[in-house]
Amino acid sequence: MEEDDKITSSPESGEVPKPDMPLPASSENVLKTSESFFQKVRENEKLLKLIRITLGSIVSIVIVLFIAIFVLYLVPALQEVISGQKTEFKVNPELKKDKNYLKQIALLTKDIQRLSKKYSSYTSGQSYIVINTTDNRFFLYKNKKLIREGFCSSGSYTMLKTESEKKWIFKTPKGKYWIQGKITSPVWRRPDWSFVEEGLPIPSENDPSRWEYGVLGDYAMSIGDGYLIHGTLYKRFLGMPVTHGCVRLNDEDLEAIYNTLSIGSKVYIF
Amino acid sequence: MDNIEKKQLSGKMITMIIIGIFVLAFLVFYSILSAMAPARKLAEIKAGIIGLQQSSESNKDDRYYSDSAFIKLTKEKAFLQARTSMAETDSVYMTLNIPDSTAKLGISGVEVHSAKISGMKISKILRSGNEYLISELFSSPMNIESDLATIKKEPLMIKMAPKDTSEFKPDIIPDTTDYEPVSYILEMDNGVRIFICQDADTITSDKNQLFFFDLSDRLKNTWSSLKSIARFKVPEYHPFIKIRLPKADAKILYRAIPRQGQIAVYI
Repeated sequence: MEEDDKITSSPESGEVPKPDMPLPASSENVLKTSESFFQKVRENEKLLKLIRITLGSIVSIVIVLFIAIFVLYLVPALQEVISGQKTEFKVNPELKKDKNYLKQIALLTKDIQRLSKKYSSYTSGQSYIVINTTDNRFFLYKNKKLIREGFCSSGSYTMLKTESEKKWIFKTPKGKYWIQGKITSPVWRRPDWSFVEEGLPIPSENDPSRWEYGVLGDYAMSIGDGYLIHGTLYKRFLGMPVTHGCVRLNDEDLEAIYNTLSIGSKVYIF
Repeated sequence: MDNIEKKQLSGKMITMIIIGIFVLAFLVFYSILSAMAPARKLAEIKAGIIGLQQSSESNKDDRYYSDSAFIKLTKEKAFLQARTSMAETDSVYMTLNIPDSTAKLGISGVEVHSAKISGMKISKILRSGNEYLISELFSSPMNIESDLATIKKEPLMIKMAPKDTSEFKPDIIPDTTDYEPVSYILEMDNGVRIFICQDADTITSDKNQLFFFDLSDRLKNTWSSLKSIARFKVPEYHPFIKIRLPKADAKILYRAIPRQGQIAVYI
């Protein structure tokens, strides 16, 4: 307060200082202090504005996030809370004596027996083989019991394309097949893609270069459409998808399967 | 100066409040219509089944539907019926037995693969809805209409044929490392959605990928719900079955089942 009084009046001298008169040193200090104060306030205003904008942005982001979480997660959860009316099972002794009820139960039981019989008749009592192309494994069954399992190689899922847009897809077909032919000491007749794949010109249909001996193992079983279950020279690739669609096995497994399956035996590939 | 600022501020506030009220009103409206969706789906199922029963002259008493023995037999028959129907084809099909916690693959009645379900979450209308209606819903196989997955159904690699022998390179050993997380959604023709996801033992990058996969599906569904709500319609509700399987099994099931394959469910 004393300092303020000094600026506005000078009680000691009784004179009011004129504007162009040089101020005393203490007044200059006060002016500087007040200027820096207002400067700080102005800076703080900028800071406040910045804080206000930041806070506004954060609040907006929180609101948008809340709406997103509400719509994406809470509403589906809400649907699950509200929906459903559980069946209340009641013990009704009268119903158990009802003729129509008993008839319905008998009908249902008969239907179940019929369907069960039909369904189990699909599983062959004969020998069959199951081939898993994802894991490249086989499972051999006899009299509905697993008798052998092991690794095999199936289709590589490669699409071979030529510049003339000719293409071949090397994959093992899935579904139910059956052994259509059994061959010992099979000879491989190289198809066109085998030459294309190696950059060789395609020979004529009966060209001797098409016949290759000893590459399919000791046995081969045909499952139709040119697909075979056969042996391989590339045993290190067993358990991997590397073939052109056929199923490759090692020598021992191939022999066991060849001896177990007969023409007409089912081959289930998945 | 102060007055103008105050007026501007109050104008802004009013706009914000109006927008807020609109957003809130929309959220309430969205929630109400979405909450109505499951009940409408159940009514649709009921209408379809009653229609079928009326055409087949059923003489079932209402009391039967609250009898546990009757319901148990009905469910059993429905599952067998669906499996028998699928076994008549020569394609790969899938069966989900929820009480047994098993997911199986079959071909022509022969079970070719079985996997243990390690975790599951089922839509409330399927889990605790009218049991008779649900068993009737699953009495015939469901057909896959579309699917969405983190892995490829057929991991096809394109290889250009060499022009001559000098360009020929023998095949290298294929990379069989399992680096992709496995999660997929099968959308069935009756509106049911089956989610199959690998077990919880996932690494962080897998978790991120699975999170974004789930998020993209939620966004797709929310977008379709928003479109319905914008037309003042109750959005479509898809009952779901979410199951967790070991990664290898989840992959086998997805790769084995055809794109338009069939699935039977026993709940």
